[in-house]
Amino acid sequence: MNNRLQLGLIGAAAALILVIAGVLLFSVGGGGDKDDSASGDETPSASETESADIESGGEGELVIRGEDPLFLDPAVVQDSGSASYLVEIFSGLVRLDKDLAIQPDLAESYEVSADGTVFTFKLRRNATFHDGRPVLPEDVKYSIERALAPETASVVAENFLGDIVGAKDMARGRADSVSGVKIVDDSTIEITIDAPKPYFLYKMTYPTAYVVDQRQIEGNPRRWTQQPNGTGPYKLAEWRLGEQIILEAYENFYLGPPTLKTVRFELSGGSGLVAYEDGDIDITGVGLDDLERIQDPADVLNPEYSQVTRQSLDYIGFNTNVPPFDDPLVRQAFALSVDRAKIAEVILKDAIPVANGILMPGVPGYTEVQKTYPYDPEEAKRLLEQSKYADDMPEITLAESGAGGTVGPTTEAIVQYWSDNLGIDVKIQQAESGTFFSDIDQGRYQMFHLGWIMDYPDPEDILDILFHSTSRQNNTRYSNPEIDALLESARVNQDAEARLQTYQEVEDKLVKDAVWIPMFYDVAHVLVKPYVTNFELPAMIIERYREVEVDRP
Amino acid sequence: MDGLSGHIIRRLLFLPLTLLIVSFAMFYITRWGPGDPISIYSGQYRDEEAFDRVREQYGLDLPIYQQYRIWLSDIVLHGDFGPSFQYRDRDIPDIIFPKMWVSFRIALFAFILTFFIGIPLGIYAAVKRGSWIDPALIGTFLFFRSIPVLVLVPILVLFLSDRWGLVPPGGFDGMFTASMVIPTIALTVPGIAGVARLARTSTLLAMDDDFVRTARAKGLSEYVVITRHVVRVSVLPIMTTAIGLDLVSLIEGALFIEILLGIPGIGRFVFESVGAQDYNVILAIVMIGTAAFVIANLAVDLMLIVIDPRIRAGQRGLN
Repeated sequence: MNNRLQLGLIGAAAALILVIAGVLLFSVGGGGDKDDSASGDETPSASETESADIESGGEGELVIRGEDPLFLDPAVVQDSGSASYLVEIFSGLVRLDKDLAIQPDLAESYEVSADGTVFTFKLRRNATFHDGRPVLPEDVKYSIERALAPETASVVAENFLGDIVGAKDMARGRADSVSGVKIVDDSTIEITIDAPKPYFLYKMTYPTAYVVDQRQIEGNPRRWTQQPNGTGPYKLAEWRLGEQIILEAYENFYLGPPTLKTVRFELSGGSGLVAYEDGDIDITGVGLDDLERIQDPADVLNPEYSQVTRQSLDYIGFNTNVPPFDDPLVRQAFALSVDRAKIAEVILKDAIPVANGILMPGVPGYTEVQKTYPYDPEEAKRLLEQSKYADDMPEITLAESGAGGTVGPTTEAIVQYWSDNLGIDVKIQQAESGTFFSDIDQGRYQMFHLGWIMDYPDPEDILDILFHSTSRQNNTRYSNPEIDALLESARVNQDAEARLQTYQEVEDKLVKDAVWIPMFYDVAHVLVKPYVTNFELPAMIIERYREVEVDRP
Repeated sequence: MDGLSGHIIRRLLFLPLTLLIVSFAMFYITRWGPGDPISIYSGQYRDEEAFDRVREQYGLDLPIYQQYRIWLSDIVLHGDFGPSFQYRDRDIPDIIFPKMWVSFRIALFAFILTFFIGIPLGIYAAVKRGSWIDPALIGTFLFFRSIPVLVLVPILVLFLSDRWGLVPPGGFDGMFTASMVIPTIALTVPGIAGVARLARTSTLLAMDDDFVRTARAKGLSEYVVITRHVVRVSVLPIMTTAIGLDLVSLIEGALFIEILLGIPGIGRFVFESVGAQDYNVILAIVMIGTAAFVIANLAVDLMLIVIDPRIRAGQRGLN
């Protein structure tokens, strides 16, 4: 009897501890005021039934795989994953269309002053936030100033908005407003920039310049991005971390309601191709491993396959300040001794094209002319012998981003070519991405393997930003007064044609001086179900679902 | 009774102290190293001036001991784990609990399977002592026990997914879906081997006991002797000793399995958070993990105490 009592008590104590542990596990930091949108105890069946409801109820739902965005604040975000949602939920004064040309967006029209420094935007009368409130010039002004304000903690705001008069002062806490942004009347706003820069409007298409709702942000400063009140074609209807995101058409969107009722992003991961073949998703990317099969015209999926060249480039960069790459002859020798076409064919299975210059296809000023060095090992050896390091070659290390483990086959092949053709054994050093970028920034590497993705389709976004001697992002430490002068003249050249020609000249000189070895352009390979129409994968991250139609059989 | 409840209270009182020491060490270790979350998130946008302004906003420019003081008072007074530098608009528990829930369900399922398969196998091997079945079974267990998860998972993917196309090669489509086949096998197989070996040993020990001999002498069938008498004594110690061990290996295993198979659980998330140097998230996961571990250990210890007298009582009855 006594034994049983004791047993019962101990059992009760054990059970209590387990319960406490359980409660603790699921409620730590609950803080009392959180809503249940992202709590951990939802059963999977709940989400399944819910999504099933949407599928049966909505005509025109597009289902794709996605990844969790980090957070949806257009002023702060710079990662492409988050940006791809931002462009659907928010919008700015101007946008890029499918051909990457600038179109008025929240602005109905805009004018540029004769000297090219004052931009006057006339807002659309029917432009509204998702809650129905009209978009006013005050909202535009607020959004720009908020993006720049130090409290917003954006590392990119100055980069994209810094051309506006007074923007730098605001970003550095020296001013409470941006003097270059003026409200003219209840539908007009005027933005003055520090010099007549034709690419300024491109910068305004980047999310940093998108319009946000002051009332919502001030009412809920930390969590408004979980249900942002944007101005774009889609509302964020649901976002469950790791499960799904549902974008719902905003019926009063100023360019007309989107044709699709909802776009659903499945966030749980898994093989996109398998899900696509099972009919669970409507669009998927194709990886290198499956590409050969899909590209075979006999494959059943082949008719659904397409590809688009993205504005992105893979390159080897030289630190032009340190031996041996301070001698252009060494750089040229390295460039001449890599057979990029062979690497593309053998390792990359011809999935991506060899770069013929620095500018990518689709960027204004791109030409099909071969600007890069051909594969010529003999010439490479000759140049190397003429270089000042011919008899005294220092040790060379190539740095690349990576979390340890194996080096990519492409990098291995590149290094092998240098070893075979020049007799130089280049070591490979991998660094975790944070260290990698900050070490490049501080000029700690001799050479590095890196990529560049265009933020807006203007040659300035690559040539000026990466090669002007005073640019913060000049990671090759390249300093050439002639190039600087050309870049500075191109910045403010109002003659579009002449401006592009200047950039082409710069590109040509940079490639000949072998500051980089441009390696490959980037191509996205995609499968789209035949019942999905009007979908085109854009070359950059721009709004892409508004006109898509889904007629599921 | 007094001794026991005192023991529980003492153990629970030690928990905050443990957490304090662990948090202090983790706080220093994560923030001491090179790089910081702002620099990593910014990728190729290198603007040290802007970085400094952002660091100031997050208090990352303060000396570490001051940062720790702020962090600690936030957590104690407001239950606030501080901001995530990646998912800036979320409370840290909102980010990590759904991921922990995924890992927890997978681990629990694997855990249960391990015991339901491992114990009968071990008992069977013990019963077949002396025949070829026993060494064959034990050899097989040892073989599987010895394969590291890092090797086992790619092999499973190669055959089950690549070659035979039976299941998807990764991802997580929910519990009890084809996507769970590979992770479940990878998590249970080594565990089964361990549990089965334990079960075999303790069954063998029990089989030589006096009360078993008595049961046999009473003329009970071998089946009844094993299921009624031997198993009762042999299984419970396995449960308690193996639970602790298996919990640890499950956590370790889950880390690699989630990374290799792209399962959105806490293991993979820790890996990503370390890559992004998302200090506060790493810290929160370690703290919650530590607390759960201490409490689980306490629960296991209590189970031992609960189970022990029952076994003694049972033996007395038999004698």
